[in-house]
Formats: sequence, C-alpha cells, structure tokens
Amino acid sequence: MGSPSPADQVSRRAQALAGHLRGLHTSMEPSLSPSPCLQYSPPELASPPSDFNLSDMRKLMDGHNLQDRDWLFGLMIQSKLFNPRVAGGRVFVSPDYNQSMEQQREMTMKRIHYLLDCGVFQEWLTGRGPEVEMRKFALHEVIGMYDHSLAVKLGVHYFLWGGAIQFFGTKRHHDKWLRDSENYVIKGCFAMTELGHGSNVRGIETVTTYDSKTGEFVINSPCESAQKYWIGGAANHATHTIVFSQLNINGKSEGVHAFIAQIRDTDGNICPNVRVADCGHKIGLNGVDNGRIWFDNVRIPRENLLNSVADVSPDGQYLSAIKDPDQRFAAFLAPLTSGRVTIATSAVYSSKMSLAIAIRYSLTRRAFSITPNQPEVLLLDYPSHQRRLLPLLAKTYAMSFAANYLKMIYVKRTPESNKTIHVVSSAFKAILTWHNMRTLQECREACGGQGLKTENRIGQMKGEYDVQSTFEGDNNVLMQQVSKALLAEYIAVQKRNRPFKGLGLEHMNKSCPVVPSQLTSSTLRSSQFQTDIFCLRERDLLIRFAAEMSQLQAQGLSREYALLQSYQLAEDLGRAFSDRAILQTFLDAEAAVSSGPLKSMLSLLRSMHVLIILEEDASFLRYGYLSPDNAAGIRKEVTILCSELRPHALALVSSFGIPDAFLSPIAFNWIDANSWSSVQPQQGATVPLQI
Amino acid sequence: MKMCSKDFSTRLQANYNKSIEIYEGRLISKLLELFLAYEEDSNVKLVIMKGNGRAFCSGGDVAAVVHDINRGNWKIGAKFFWEEYILNYVMATYSKPQVSILNGIVMGGGAGASVHGRFRIATENSVFAMPETALGLFPDVGASYFLSRFPGFFGEYVGLTGARLDGAEMLACGLATHFVPSARLSSLEAALHKLDSSDPAIISAVIDEYSLQPYLKDKSTYHRLDIINRCFSRRTIEEILSALEREAVKSADDWISSTIQSLQKASPTSLKISLRSIREGRVQGVGQCLIREYRMVCHVMRGEVSKDFVEGCRAILFDKDKNPKWEPSRLDQLNDSMIDQYFSRVDDEEWEDLKLPARSSYTASALAKL
Repeated sequence: MGSPSPADQVSRRAQALAGHLRGLHTSMEPSLSPSPCLQYSPPELASPPSDFNLSDMRKLMDGHNLQDRDWLFGLMIQSKLFNPRVAGGRVFVSPDYNQSMEQQREMTMKRIHYLLDCGVFQEWLTGRGPEVEMRKFALHEVIGMYDHSLAVKLGVHYFLWGGAIQFFGTKRHHDKWLRDSENYVIKGCFAMTELGHGSNVRGIETVTTYDSKTGEFVINSPCESAQKYWIGGAANHATHTIVFSQLNINGKSEGVHAFIAQIRDTDGNICPNVRVADCGHKIGLNGVDNGRIWFDNVRIPRENLLNSVADVSPDGQYLSAIKDPDQRFAAFLAPLTSGRVTIATSAVYSSKMSLAIAIRYSLTRRAFSITPNQPEVLLLDYPSHQRRLLPLLAKTYAMSFAANYLKMIYVKRTPESNKTIHVVSSAFKAILTWHNMRTLQECREACGGQGLKTENRIGQMKGEYDVQSTFEGDNNVLMQQVSKALLAEYIAVQKRNRPFKGLGLEHMNKSCPVVPSQLTSSTLRSSQFQTDIFCLRERDLLIRFAAEMSQLQAQGLSREYALLQSYQLAEDLGRAFSDRAILQTFLDAEAAVSSGPLKSMLSLLRSMHVLIILEEDASFLRYGYLSPDNAAGIRKEVTILCSELRPHALALVSSFGIPDAFLSPIAFNWIDANSWSSVQPQQGATVPLQI
Repeated sequence: MKMCSKDFSTRLQANYNKSIEIYEGRLISKLLELFLAYEEDSNVKLVIMKGNGRAFCSGGDVAAVVHDINRGNWKIGAKFFWEEYILNYVMATYSKPQVSILNGIVMGGGAGASVHGRFRIATENSVFAMPETALGLFPDVGASYFLSRFPGFFGEYVGLTGARLDGAEMLACGLATHFVPSARLSSLEAALHKLDSSDPAIISAVIDEYSLQPYLKDKSTYHRLDIINRCFSRRTIEEILSALEREAVKSADDWISSTIQSLQKASPTSLKISLRSIREGRVQGVGQCLIREYRMVCHVMRGEVSKDFVEGCRAILFDKDKNPKWEPSRLDQLNDSMIDQYFSRVDDEEWEDLKLPARSSYTASALAKL
C-alpha cells in the first residue's frame, strides 16, 4: 500500500471541510485535518423535508382542541410571570427551579391567578359534557408542559376537590360550591391519604361521628398515623378540604365516606381544632404546598357529608342505596379515575418534551471521528444512539394514541363502562408513567452533561414527574388490580359458560393464534402478526394465572393469599393486557388515516413499538411465544427499523407541536446560547429586538 | 405595479455603489430577483431599503387583485401573493443584513418587505398599521409571525383593530430596531455606504450613533398594555369584545370605545380568521406562518365562505362609501367549520401549498419548526 498522493490529500481535505460546512455525515472519506472550530448547524438543514405533513401528524397526536392549546401556549409565552429567558437569540419559558420552595409556591399561585383572569378555567366545574371535559384535559396537558407543579396544584383543586363535589355531592353541594371553586374563590384540597395509609384507602384511621343534638359531624384524627399526609394545597393555600374518614354511626362503622371541612378562613388563618404542618422540601413539585392535617373534634354541618352514595338523617340514621360496602367504597373512588386519566396523558407530554429536546440535540451534537481527521459523527448517526432514543419515540407515539383513547372512553362514560374505565385507566396510568420515567432517564443520559443543566429541562423533569408512579394509586398496586379484574372476568366466563365480552378480551373466544416459526421482515411488520403475538401472550398468561390460582386455592390457600403468591404471573399478565390494549388504540388511529406518507410512517412506528416490546419483554422467551431464533431475528429487525426512522427523527418530534419556547437551549443553537457574549451584560440599543 | 401605492417607488441600495429604483410594475418579482442575486454577490455587504416620498410602502395593490377576482381570475391574485410571501421568506432568512428606513407610511405589504429584515429604522414620520380586517382581508405577509411576537397581546390589538403606531411605539413593541430622527437620515445613509462589513454588531453600532430614545406620547396606546393584555388575551373575538365592554363600564374612556368601534366595523370573518392566525403564528416558525397565510389568502380570494374582501375593497377603495356590507354580518353567524375552511388546503387540482425555497442560511429566529 503506497501513501496517498499530495493531490489526493488535497482533495480529501477539501471534501472533509466541505462536509463540515454542509453539516453532512455521509462522507466517510479519510482526511488530514479537522475543521478548527465547531459550527452549529440547525437540524432542519441536514434533515430532508418530511414526506408526511407535520400539521396533520400533530392533529392526530394531540387529537383535540388544538386551537385552545395554542392559545394557552401563547398566554404563557407572552406573560412575564412564566419566567421568559433569552438564550441563543430565543425565548424560553420554564419556572425558576432555583427559587426556594416558598417562592416556587407563590409563583404557582400567581400563575394560577393569571390563567384564571384570562378565562382558562371557565366551565371547568360548572360546564358539563364531553366537549367541556376534553377542552379541560387539553388545557391541563398544556399547563403540565410548562410545569408539573402548576398542573398538579390545579389538578388537586379542579379534578380532585371539584371532582369529589361533582361525583359524591348532590345538588345542594353543586349549587353551593362549584361556581366559587371554579373562580378559585374557594381553594380546595383532597385529604384522602394518611401517614399510615396510602393506597389502602379502606384502612384509613380518621373517624367521624354524628352528633344528633347539634346536627353536626365530628371529625377526629385519633392517632399520629391518622394524620392526613401529602395533601396538595393544605400547607399554604387551601381554604377547604374533602376529608375521607371512617363514618361511625351508633357505634357501627359504615366505612369510608367523604365530607367537606373548612380548614382556613378567608384571611388564610387556620380554623379552630385544625392543625396543619408542611410536608417539607421534596425531590420535585416544590411549587405544590403538600401538607399534613390533624382534626381535633372538628365540627361540620350535617349537609357537608357528600351524600350521593349514602346519607345520615337529621336524627342520626344511616341511609344508603348501596347496601354492599365494597360497592359503596368503589363508588367513592370515582374521581381518582379522572386523576389517572390526566396523569397518563401528562406523562406522554413529558416524554414528548424530553424526546424533542434530546433528539434535536442529537441531530446537532457530534462526538468522535470514526477515522482520523474525519468530521466527528452526529450522535444520532450512531446506531447505538438510535437504538436508545428511536424506540422510545415510537412507544411515545403509541402511548399518545392510548392516552387519547383513555380520554375518549372517560368523557363518554356510562355506568356500564365504569369497570372498563377503571381497568384501562389503571393499566395505562402505570404503563405510561413508567415509560415516561424511563424515557426521561434515557434522554437525560443521551444529552450528556447538558442533560444535567436545569435549563435543559429533562433532568429536572425526572424529579418533577417521579411522583406519577405513586400518586392516584401506586403503579404496582394498579397493575395487580388489572390482573385481578382479568381473572374475575375469566372465572365469570368459565362459570357462566358465556363468551368474553369487554376489556378487549373478545379474541379469547376465537381459536388460539398461531405464530409462524419462520418470521420474515414483512411478517414482523404486519399488524396481523403483531396483534396475534400480543393476543397469544395475554391469552396464555391469563389461562396460566387462573390455573395457578386454582391450584394454590386447591392446596388450601385463601384467594387473597394465592394472589400474593402469583404476583409474577400477575405482573406479566398486566403488561400483556396493557400492551395489547395500547396496540389496539394504535391500529384504530392508523385505520382512520387514509393511505399516504402519514399512514406509512405510522405503520413504521407501530412496528418499532411492537418489536421493541418483543425484544425487551422477557415473557416472550420465558413462556416460549418466541423461539430464540425468532428473538434474534427481531433484534436484527429493530436495528433496521432504527435506520429507517433515523431520517424522519426531526419531523417526528416536530410533529409533537411543542412550541420552541417550551423546549430548551440545547434543542437549538447551543453554541450561541453558551457563547461568551451571552454571559456579558446586554447593552440597550446595540442588541436589536429579534422579532 | 402590484406592490405599492401609485406615488411610490422603492429605492434599493446594495453596498455603496449601487442604487436601484424600482417603480411600479413587477416590483415584487424584481425585488426577489435582486435579493437572490445580492446574496450571491460578495461585493454586497448589506441591503438598504427605503421609500421615495411620503411612504416607505403603503401596501400591495389589492385593487388589482380584486379586479382579477371579479373577472374570475383569483389564480392571478394567488400568483401575486405566492411571490410576495416567498419574498417575505427570503428576507426573513436572508444571510446579509437588510436595513429598512421607515420614514413614512408602512402598511400591509410594506411591513412584510421590511419587518422580516435585520434592522428597521423608525423616524418621527413613521406610521405603521395592518388595516386588513377593515378590508375584509387579514394581516398577512408573515404578520401572524411578527404580530404574535409583540409584547403581551399588543399584536392581537394591532392586528385586529388596524391601530396606527408611530415611530416611538414601533420601537417600543419591537417592530423597529432603532429610532433615528429624519434629519439625520442622510448622514446615516452616508455612513452605511462607507461600511464594508456584514457584521450585524458593526452595522448596529453605526446606526446607534444616529439613534435616540424617543418618548412615547402621553396618549400612546402602549401605555395601555395592561388593559390590552387583559382584553386581547381572551380566547375568542366575542370574549375580547365583552372584556372590552366590561372595561368600558369600569371607566368611560374614548380609547376603549373607539377600540370597540373598530372591531365592530371590521369584517367578522376577518376578525375570526385573523385572531386564529396570530394565535397559531405564535407557536410556529415564519415559514409555517407564510404557508398558512397563503392557504388563507387563497380561500379569501375564492370567497367560498365570505366575499368580504371584494366588498371591503369596494367600500373603502372603489366606491369609497366606507360602508361595507359584511356577509356573514355577525360573529355568531360564523361557526367553527366555516373558520376551519380558511386553514385547510384549497380544493383545486392545480392548487398547491406555498413551497418555500431551500435556504442556505437560517437566522436564529427564522427557523420554521412546525
């Protein structure tokens, strides 16, 4: 091998420099010296124009109320209250998380009052019907993209406090409380969990008795573990609370009931016989004033029992249309469903933000040359980096459809659909929030050191969103409930000898799907195969779970104890149900799109979503739904899908419709944003306003 | 001449040895041609735009467009707007600094030919307005991009009411980057001619030497940003109007009543599509804004939902009775799907969305993301 001629060297060098200037990554020719200085090149320049329409994709993702969303984005971008900062010639809005807990809480309140004045919360409690509810969801999602604290503080007030009055209250409560609550004259909180009891609401220790002489209920925290704990809004601002408490009537416990109690007067002073303490600084959500409440024989009027489920007559008789205490209790958990819906959807938007930032960064940041003196390689041109981010992107698309479906069944709820909503919202809340935390962590790492800066949002969001796997039902507990519900359905079908109906289990009525032993690329990408293998897994796991349960019970274990023992199958089954249900929402969304580039892109994303689950979830190999050979083929196909999605990465995150101001400096010109001049004091007229 | 009013010509000066006057005729095509050529020409360091006479540019020749529409040739109008918006996009993404001297009237298309450039110099003679809603049109030429970036909701106010701004107000809201008294313009121009640099910081420093900080008049609407924000941040035109009416009840104020009047005089259709356009523009890049506005203007010309553009030009420009008969005549006669139509693709085989040219240079603010 001779050394290259000088002429070759010159032309290679020219090519290398041209490569730098163009920001291209395709030329892999070796060259002699690298460009002396890195230049930022916007990802738009290197990415081919998308062959699908971004606005149409956004419409599909957001699903509803796009104009309302843009209006609210604008309200926040245009107000100084939302902490606009300029970096690299752009305005970004996000809270100043360097503020103390107290300052963050005050800012949350100021922002709420501003949005209130702008009319954002109109009809949130006084309005009725699916359209009002969908609009409320859309606006709440947008608020969460600014700051999770702001969304949670509002969620507690409008969805939990307001929802409790709507669902458990009757006309007298609606008339008295809803309008003032909507206008934030009354600030509500929701005192359910206690120091000693979180997910197990039925075990709470707060006790309420009735005094027929005065016509009042008397609320008591009999021990320290009965203190209400984590009550959002309680520490500083709430004037009223819903109190969940055991109701003791004539010495008999009637189970958990909900009451309204005032905890502060209009001047913000704590009411007599109420003690309040702060939960203190948290790993995130410090803009929410979580507090603790003790009740020392707090007296409230009889009318403050939220009596849609049960009532106490003036002379102290307990009256309820629902005789079964289990059913009565279930009725009390209804508002938590709307909480789970908002948590699931906001998890998706959090994932979208982190992916938009990390992927835009990966399209402009380079690291290492493959050959000496070559331009360094764009992060997203590393197959390993693609493998880290693009499957999460595809899954986020899938979960977007899942969240839209969940909202839709929620707003169209009927008494008959309550069970489905409970199961689906439990499953989706757990899966979507777990996905979000995983996505945040991966995106944080994918941004390297820049991911650690609070201004780049992703790292901070990990702390802000971590709570999602815990509140409104611990994810693990929720997933157990899903499996339990599926088991109950299975047993009922067996017992009554009827076909499966509901929860998407109809596939169990058909013959067991057969997965071909040889899986070609086109098979792997077909919706038929994808549906079949998910149905196969769910079907088999449900049968196995039922078999194990009956075996354990035959050995003399109680049903409850058997459930504890079968937790592994229960977990696998919960996942299997969720994956199958989410895939179905994806297929439904896809079916509504007419043929064209958009549909093709969706089908590519769907295949990535399914294949990554097949690759990552051990159950497919564990129970033999896939052979080791198949699994190897799937792994290979995933890398091919990664390279196919790579050119569309920018368009796919642009389609999320997140305004630039809601992303972060590393999503744009991070060299300018970090330049020396950016740390110099700005001089008046020499810096023209960039319109 | 489709761009500017009859007595108008644009003086385009590129570096220090070329000065080109463009008179009526193919103004936009000519400008576009020159801008693209100057971008390639390494002798050209900066481009200076100014008007001759009283105006910088008082807007495109909508009368001609209406004549075309009346003769059934809306596509001729579409071609005109296509070129105009492409020019706006080229200016917004221009690799060399454009200095526009706005010593006079800047309206409609005139705003589009200057605001997207790097430097906009206002004087005591400057008058800015986007009066389209009174003509049955909507603020176009990328106005949904720049109006939405005014402080607070001043952009909604300016875009919906057609309010006039003077030089000091233009500087305050960011429309202008500098304020230079007109007496100093000739020496500023001479200084710019001597420059041999495209560095914005150097050009800015030169203009700074001639600039001063103007005072906002006591009666300036900019002092009313609080009320404007309270009212014009509302979600819909109807809510903006009722917010203004509530303010009017609180205090008898000529400004509030005249603001309400200008909204009541404007085309209801124009108001609704303008508001939505500005709101969408706030979260979009300039390219997406122009693509959307092109869709909108084509629907306006086709007149499927409303023929207010033709009626507005009749009443204001031709018959001058200043009494347009809007149809639909009331806000509540316009439902969402009627408004949606303006934002959809045009149902015509030959029609296509505005195709933005590939640009080698993107300024930080110009990047169109969605």
